[in-house]
Amino acid sequence: MAFNNKPARAEAVIIGAGASGSTAAKVLCEAGVKVVALEKGPWRKRESFGGDELANINRYNLWPDPLLNPRTWRETASSRARIDQFCPVPQMVGGGTVHWQGWLPRVTQNDFRLRTIAGDLAGASLADWPITYDELEPYYLKVEWAFGVSGQAGANHFESHRSGGYPCPPMPVSRYVEKFHKGCSALGWNSFPLPQAALSRPYNGRRATVISAFAQQHGDPTGTRSSALNIFVPDAAATGNYDLRPQCVVRELTLDRQGRIKAAIYEDGEGNLFEQEADLFILACGAVETARLLLLSKSGRFPNGVANGNDLVGRNVTFHEYSAAVGTYEDPIYAWAGGGYVSASTFQHYEHDPSRGFVSGGHLAVAGVGIPLPINWHLPGAPTWGAEAKKIDREYFNHSLAVAMVLHDMPQHENRVDLDDKVVDAWGLPVARITLKPHRNDLDQGRYLIDRAADILEASGALDIRKVYADRITGNCSHQHGTARMGDDPESSVLDRWCRAHEVENLYVVDGSPFPTATGANPTLTIMANAWRVADKIVAERGNTT
Amino acid sequence: MAEPTFFTPHQRATVEAAMARIIPSDDTPGALEAGCIDFIDRYLSGIDFIFAKPDGSGFEVLEGKAAESWRQRIEILRAKYNQGIADLDTRAQSAFSANFVALTPEQQDSILGAVDARGQAAPGVDEAADSSGPALQQTSTEIDLDFFPLLVVHTRQGFYADPIYGGNRQQMGWKTIGFHGPLSMKDVHEGRYTTLPFFAEGEAEKVREFHDGL
Repeated sequence: MAFNNKPARAEAVIIGAGASGSTAAKVLCEAGVKVVALEKGPWRKRESFGGDELANINRYNLWPDPLLNPRTWRETASSRARIDQFCPVPQMVGGGTVHWQGWLPRVTQNDFRLRTIAGDLAGASLADWPITYDELEPYYLKVEWAFGVSGQAGANHFESHRSGGYPCPPMPVSRYVEKFHKGCSALGWNSFPLPQAALSRPYNGRRATVISAFAQQHGDPTGTRSSALNIFVPDAAATGNYDLRPQCVVRELTLDRQGRIKAAIYEDGEGNLFEQEADLFILACGAVETARLLLLSKSGRFPNGVANGNDLVGRNVTFHEYSAAVGTYEDPIYAWAGGGYVSASTFQHYEHDPSRGFVSGGHLAVAGVGIPLPINWHLPGAPTWGAEAKKIDREYFNHSLAVAMVLHDMPQHENRVDLDDKVVDAWGLPVARITLKPHRNDLDQGRYLIDRAADILEASGALDIRKVYADRITGNCSHQHGTARMGDDPESSVLDRWCRAHEVENLYVVDGSPFPTATGANPTLTIMANAWRVADKIVAERGNTT
Repeated sequence: MAEPTFFTPHQRATVEAAMARIIPSDDTPGALEAGCIDFIDRYLSGIDFIFAKPDGSGFEVLEGKAAESWRQRIEILRAKYNQGIADLDTRAQSAFSANFVALTPEQQDSILGAVDARGQAAPGVDEAADSSGPALQQTSTEIDLDFFPLLVVHTRQGFYADPIYGGNRQQMGWKTIGFHGPLSMKDVHEGRYTTLPFFAEGEAEKVREFHDGL
């Protein structure tokens, strides 16, 4: 390949400008580090977003277009892979935070030592994290205050130590939240307003978040939600140190003679190739695409992909799974109000309890059923067409809600991301192939959680309850972790405790890839807190060497 | 709507009739009144009506890789419709010696029921046995669907998507199910649309000072 261009060397290159990449960019740029950010997707402004379910959910206005960005999935290494839009995340500046509604619970201290707590689980590759909750805690607080998270300190009785409260009080109470609290209370379970990346009142010069129905999975035309796009990207850009280049697809990382990353080879929107050199490289593409880029970067020193000397890159991948029990009520719930995601949660079934017969647990939270309309939803088990289907749409739309789980799926050595040997993307690069079979523990835990969700519905007066058990893991919640585990032992992990590759001294990963275990809660707050922690360390080391 | 169309008049009448069985008219409007046929005809006409501008002022012009992808996708969908419509007539001729559009609603239902590969799940089933169903999938890949499930999806889209796409006339779909949507996409775009009045009793009052449109 001939390079048309070789831009000026940067201090740091960050690949990806989503939740984690923009967090790292903010911290580095504010400390005076000159950053070049290479983002595959566009840099969209708030004016480009609208309340349009068809465009945003069905027509890939925000989701990746599967004809351009396919993935494949197979159950085991011996089954044939088929094209499957497995665990997509919006690919653009802001990443998944562009269309999220930002549930931001903290995980608990036991999540950082699951192997110690639960012991070995046959078939799983459980591991403790090399860091503790206490090491991450200050960074949780930093993200919460930078974002203006709306929540209530102490309301989650299972939460670990907090060094400070939330900057904004909880969001207004939706009718579906009322039902959820009523059900939990009747069962004697603790429930709490789910901390959210939204402003319940003006904060830091920003106005309160507009409470539309087009929220979850929709972009925010008002710019009032808290997202990487609305907060961290502008923070980084304001320093003058952030050279963010959208629509730049990194094809591979190259090595220098010392075995350090020399450059990122990327292609811009017009198809021109560039070689971008830097002192250090930070990967923030999401756990699937980060693993893919590492594996695409083959060299004499790393014939199976950079930092993959131990064949661990892409392994132990975890995805959670979103499923729910749906309840219908006599009175109207309007679970589309607030997009169905101005929510409440319970951690009552979150912690490991050996008496249940499976490892760990997950949080349960209340949600709407459409996004917001019944275009991409139908009542589980009900007909999809005809008079009965219409009757159900009419009678249930305003009267239904979901109690949903975040499944804490188990890491397994054989579950992995690697490169497909047949399918390429619109840039001619092999796509990510997911090999994934749920562990028995995932199915058992999922059934337990859905049964508890149904308990909440029943206790809150639901007339009709339908359970949807997760028989498969489909990657339907965009959460992805584990493909470049962090650990103290270079034999069993890809990254060290500072998320630097054991094998490549100027390579860092700050998305969900470092997570040794999935946890049972939405991961982005933890991802951003960890990215901030790693960026702080990079800044401190830079101070030592200059 | 005087716009480029994809269907021949016979195809259009056939799809319109099938859509009218998917969301039938009763004491409230169905696919027929909501103009679901205009929605799908417009969609299949090319790539000029894929994404509405977010303020509702028209449609985006697709370029580059997105335009290539959408041309490819529309071709795939057109082929499914051409074949699926012909199949409805073949089945109708075989069973009732008439084209689909000429059948009684009951006869049309029997043809559609036979085409519906997944079959009709009985109402009130406790657990969704159909793991391939879209219930909790958050993304959609239309081009993987067979003709009939595709037609069902498009009928629902035409009934419930924003009226700018040609269906859901006068927000009929929204009114039918009681969705208090925005007056227009522009209202959402400019931040005037709020759902706080549909929150718990008294909640909107507490935060009135922070919100427009209440």
